[in-house]
Amino acid sequence: MTEKEIASLNAAATRCRLNILRMIRASGHGHVGGALSAMDMVAALYFYKLNVDPSDPAKEDRDRFVLSAGHKCLCQYAALAEKGFFEKSVLDTYGSLGSPIPGHPDMHKLPGVEANTGALGHGLAISLGMALAQKIDGKNARTYTLLGDGELAEGSNWEAAAAAAHHKVDNLTAIVDYNGLQISGPVKEVMDLTPISDHFRAFGWAVRDIDGNNMNEITDALDALPFEKGKPSCIVAHTVKAKGLSFGEGNVSYHFWNAKEDQLMQAEEELNALLEDYEKEAGS
Amino acid sequence: MTGNFEDPRKTFGKAVSDYALAHEDVILLSADSGKSSGFGDFMKEAPERYLEFGIMEQCVTGVASGLACSGKRPVFCAIAPFVTARNFEMFRNDVGYMGQNVKIVGRNGGITYSDLGATHHSLDDFSIIGMIPGVCVLCPQDPNEIRQAVITMMEHDGPVYMRIGNEPVENLFEEEPFVIGKGRRIAEGKDVTIISTGTLTGSVIKALPLLKEKGVSADVIGMPTICPLDEELILDSVEKTARVVTVEEHYIKGGLGTAVSDLLSERSPALVKKLGIPHDYATSGPYKEILKKYGLDEKSIADSVLNFLGIDI
Repeated sequence: MTEKEIASLNAAATRCRLNILRMIRASGHGHVGGALSAMDMVAALYFYKLNVDPSDPAKEDRDRFVLSAGHKCLCQYAALAEKGFFEKSVLDTYGSLGSPIPGHPDMHKLPGVEANTGALGHGLAISLGMALAQKIDGKNARTYTLLGDGELAEGSNWEAAAAAAHHKVDNLTAIVDYNGLQISGPVKEVMDLTPISDHFRAFGWAVRDIDGNNMNEITDALDALPFEKGKPSCIVAHTVKAKGLSFGEGNVSYHFWNAKEDQLMQAEEELNALLEDYEKEAGS
Repeated sequence: MTGNFEDPRKTFGKAVSDYALAHEDVILLSADSGKSSGFGDFMKEAPERYLEFGIMEQCVTGVASGLACSGKRPVFCAIAPFVTARNFEMFRNDVGYMGQNVKIVGRNGGITYSDLGATHHSLDDFSIIGMIPGVCVLCPQDPNEIRQAVITMMEHDGPVYMRIGNEPVENLFEEEPFVIGKGRRIAEGKDVTIISTGTLTGSVIKALPLLKEKGVSADVIGMPTICPLDEELILDSVEKTARVVTVEEHYIKGGLGTAVSDLLSERSPALVKKLGIPHDYATSGPYKEILKKYGLDEKSIADSVLNFLGIDI
């Protein structure tokens, strides 16, 4: 990856963060903390890695992305809109009656959404099924799922983790958004599952720890998949909760944000300035 | 009644395996449950389409959804409470809400795992799975119906739950195409409507001569689909009889009897006597003895109908 390419991806991620603010402006609130911590990885997936086509969302040989931590849906909506899966005006319906972008994703309402997530501990098993189908059909396609770190306390994840390793599903990648905070406080205090990497290794996965807000490290990891032939891959992405909100980064209060107008204006201003820098760097 | 009995698990397993061998998009899933579900031969003949997961019903339900998202037709069969209650949220969200073409089959259903006790009984499956929008709930009544219900379940585009037992079941009917949502009128009568499902339909048929001896003419409906209910057939019968007895191997709360009562309370008010298992943790013991204890053997069914009609036993 050249520096310009990295800057271009950072610009895309910043545009997505601005899309998140647009949705928050529409509804006044939302699960921004995890959406913003995961935004760089989700942007890298959609703008760098995934074989998906906004003009043909159901194309047969596509890669699949399942947002297991469905409450982070703002980051997926932001990326899908930026990628052109739907008109950006839809973002302004967030929080309104019957919106195609509800508080947890609904595959029947929005192109590009592969699964109805929201209840935690479901996405990994669904993704395993998708990855198995890709393997059975001999397709050169991959399935990715993004999990929250707090979500890992759901035991169903570990059923799926064991099964993925047992069946040697090396076209499956789990990305753990390890921002260290969940709604009640630090994940380590609520239910300590550290070291996360060792847990996945013990279940038979190939694991890499990265800085999940660093586009170089994210793209390097995505390019190295599968980390080991015959094993599912896990990216433990160390991230910052509410990344991009200067006044909210690393603060658990921003897990769910009831936004004030002055905060929204400040955040938009800061992100627009950042976007300008990235675009300049990218030469666009 | 034919006197010809079959093991419903073997009948089911063979029917599914035959269908799956002829259709490459069918995947059979096991939670350490495949051999007991009658998939033993399929495991050998098409191992690439038989996936073993060990005892993790929640995961298997999610995997089934993911496979179906990619155009596969997964069939997951295991002990009934573990594919309905244990994994309920996965069934509701990943299969029901996602509207995936997944077939889940609860075997050893009802109280047929009799001596293993209440953890292994499934007396709430019609109720909890019937609450999931868009899921068909089937409970075939004899081996011929099981064979045909399998084919119809596989051809149906959408989620299906089917319950089968494990006690040998007598063939009652000629084998004919199974239609989801359609009951069958087994006997014509005018004094009372008896509606039953699953293998207890055989007991109802055996109870009919006892009723006839007392001069009771029963209109008998076998109902192998719980959801969606054959409303027209029920209404047509109740128009004649105005009195209904339901018979099922399920809690009297939330099952076929409740569905029938819900229908009639809105469309054609009638007295409904619900025969089934009381809302409690059922006792363990030999299957037939448990049925008798809860009044679900042929003599007890006949007596309950007579009592309901105010006729001396």
